[in-house]
Amino acid sequence: MTKAQAKAIFVWGTVLSAVILLALTYNSLSQIPQRTHADRLDAQVATGKWVWQKHNCNDCHTILGIGGYYAPDLTKVMSYRDADWMRRFLNDPGAVWPASRKMPNLHLKDQEITDLIAFLSWVNGIDTNNWPPKPMAATASAGTVEKPGEAVYRAQGCSACHSIGGVGGHVGPDLTKVGSRRDREWIEEQLKDPKSHNPNSIMPSFAKLPEKDREDLVDYLSGLR
Amino acid sequence: MKYESQKIAYKYFVLATLLFGLQVVFGLITGAKYVWDFDPLINILPFNTSRAIHINLLVVWLLFGFMGGTYYLVPEEADTEIYSPWLANLQLYLFAAIGVTAIAGYIAGWSWGMPFLEQPTILKIGIVVVALIFLFNIFMTMMKTKKWTVIQGVLLGGLVMLAVMFLFGIFFMKNLTTQYYFWWWVIHLWVEGAWEIVTGAIMAFVLLKLTGVDRALVEKWLYIEVGLVLFTGIAGIGHHYYWIGTPNYWLWVGGIFSALEPVPILFMVIDTLRDVKERKVEITNRLALYWAVGCAVMHFLGAGVWGFAHTLPQINQWTHGTQVTAAHGHFAFFGAYAMLNLTMIYFALPQIKGLKVFNQRLGMKAFWTMNFFMIMMVLALSVAGVIQTYFQRVLGMDYLTTQGFMKLWFAVFWVSAWGFAIGALMYIVNFFTIGKKQVAV
Repeated sequence: MTKAQAKAIFVWGTVLSAVILLALTYNSLSQIPQRTHADRLDAQVATGKWVWQKHNCNDCHTILGIGGYYAPDLTKVMSYRDADWMRRFLNDPGAVWPASRKMPNLHLKDQEITDLIAFLSWVNGIDTNNWPPKPMAATASAGTVEKPGEAVYRAQGCSACHSIGGVGGHVGPDLTKVGSRRDREWIEEQLKDPKSHNPNSIMPSFAKLPEKDREDLVDYLSGLR
Repeated sequence: MKYESQKIAYKYFVLATLLFGLQVVFGLITGAKYVWDFDPLINILPFNTSRAIHINLLVVWLLFGFMGGTYYLVPEEADTEIYSPWLANLQLYLFAAIGVTAIAGYIAGWSWGMPFLEQPTILKIGIVVVALIFLFNIFMTMMKTKKWTVIQGVLLGGLVMLAVMFLFGIFFMKNLTTQYYFWWWVIHLWVEGAWEIVTGAIMAFVLLKLTGVDRALVEKWLYIEVGLVLFTGIAGIGHHYYWIGTPNYWLWVGGIFSALEPVPILFMVIDTLRDVKERKVEITNRLALYWAVGCAVMHFLGAGVWGFAHTLPQINQWTHGTQVTAAHGHFAFFGAYAMLNLTMIYFALPQIKGLKVFNQRLGMKAFWTMNFFMIMMVLALSVAGVIQTYFQRVLGMDYLTTQGFMKLWFAVFWVSAWGFAIGALMYIVNFFTIGKKQVAV
């Protein structure tokens, strides 16, 4: 091969690849508004994005799979946490999630939290080509149907303090066989007013939980024997 | 060394070396946070701050190294003194001042919040000014003689691309997907574009001088390598557009182009080994030779093999956002760019200091120590990444529970990182004491 031919590889290889990138960028930019529901991207979402950046959240958390790998990915966080939980957590991360690796308290203002939740709710709607994928094992074991109360248990982050079957935190009592120790009424009372059984309990009250969710949760927990 | 102004490179190498050391220190602090849940620094230096500093120092020391390498290389290629040593000094101090401000700012909570591009906007504008001074100085030096060797032409092209791409990381965009789309124009088109070009040119220069092979041969290969790097790398950006809200044709484009990305890096290994085998002069600076060959091999393993391992969408959908990426990141940055800079430094340093022979024992120990422990670190992170992929992504275990199962491997990683730090310390001591107690020629 001569030097002129080598140069031709360099020039044409670069030009061809750059043309592909530019053409697809033109097309991608025309599709992104629809794929990200840009019509729902209001001023509050944009402000929330700045809260996200200002506090450098992305150097611990990943979002869209990019960032620090030290804390959970938040792309779809609003699919499994409700706004109320997020608000309580962001106000005082250590109190809501006392177990293992910790998030510092950022001392966010109420408005900042509202904006941040709006941002994360908008991110939740981005079409990510089905990423993250549904865990294969969950699909494979589809025969076992999840109880509604199990979903509430996960959404409320109970496992931060309690463990079931060895999975979860150790701040609160193990709940693996809680149904054989406590009856329905006791569990319901504990959820509404944790201090009713132990005045020194540090467990937060779940009195504000919707009636249906609390009943499901009580069903689930009292069934654990 | 033929020209007095090449000595400017030394100051750049000093800063690169010191910042490299500091990067390792922040790496150890950041890594400790994975090993122990209790973090005494959580309110002073939380993980996000120490990581931001760790990765910013990486980029800054590598850039200081590239700039120093350029100031060393261009006078010899252009056959003239640097256009303005004064500007070269100004640029050095300005860049250092911006770097110090940025790091102090992170600790005080002043951040722009996109990974690698955490610098607040005003500092980014300062960085653009630094880049303009640098490019102006280099371009004017080349214009003095207008000897457009392929090496310096390719180098200039890479440096211009490096500066231009940075512009895409300055603006705040409301849409996170669009923001990340162009964030990758900085990050990806740097590491798999501009930086590869700069690396190719500097490596070609070092091999040419070190082995005495034909310039025509070196330059022909440089064209082919850089051409293939850009052909596969530019459209290869598609492997970052699988899951961020971009259309699904990127799965095809990213998969196909990035599957080819290891090819030019393999060519570099073959090219380097052939140059060494067909050398026309005796190579007395064995340290530069070791770093050059080591760089080719580790570049291929870190960027080529570890990159290819998770670049196909069928695999990447499971590994994306896990420690697999961190393993690749450490391996590729060290193998491709840290080692390239160390190659250039060990090539240029004895000449700047006027040493014909020098004691290479400590340098050799540093070479083997750093390489061995970097491989250990990468293997540990890779195991952690595979555990994370299976437990979290395949089995559906929650994020934090999975992290508990990875702890052993974080510990192996962290202990290996101490080994690496000892190797880095050997290098730093060697850098500052090289040629001492010997007769300068």
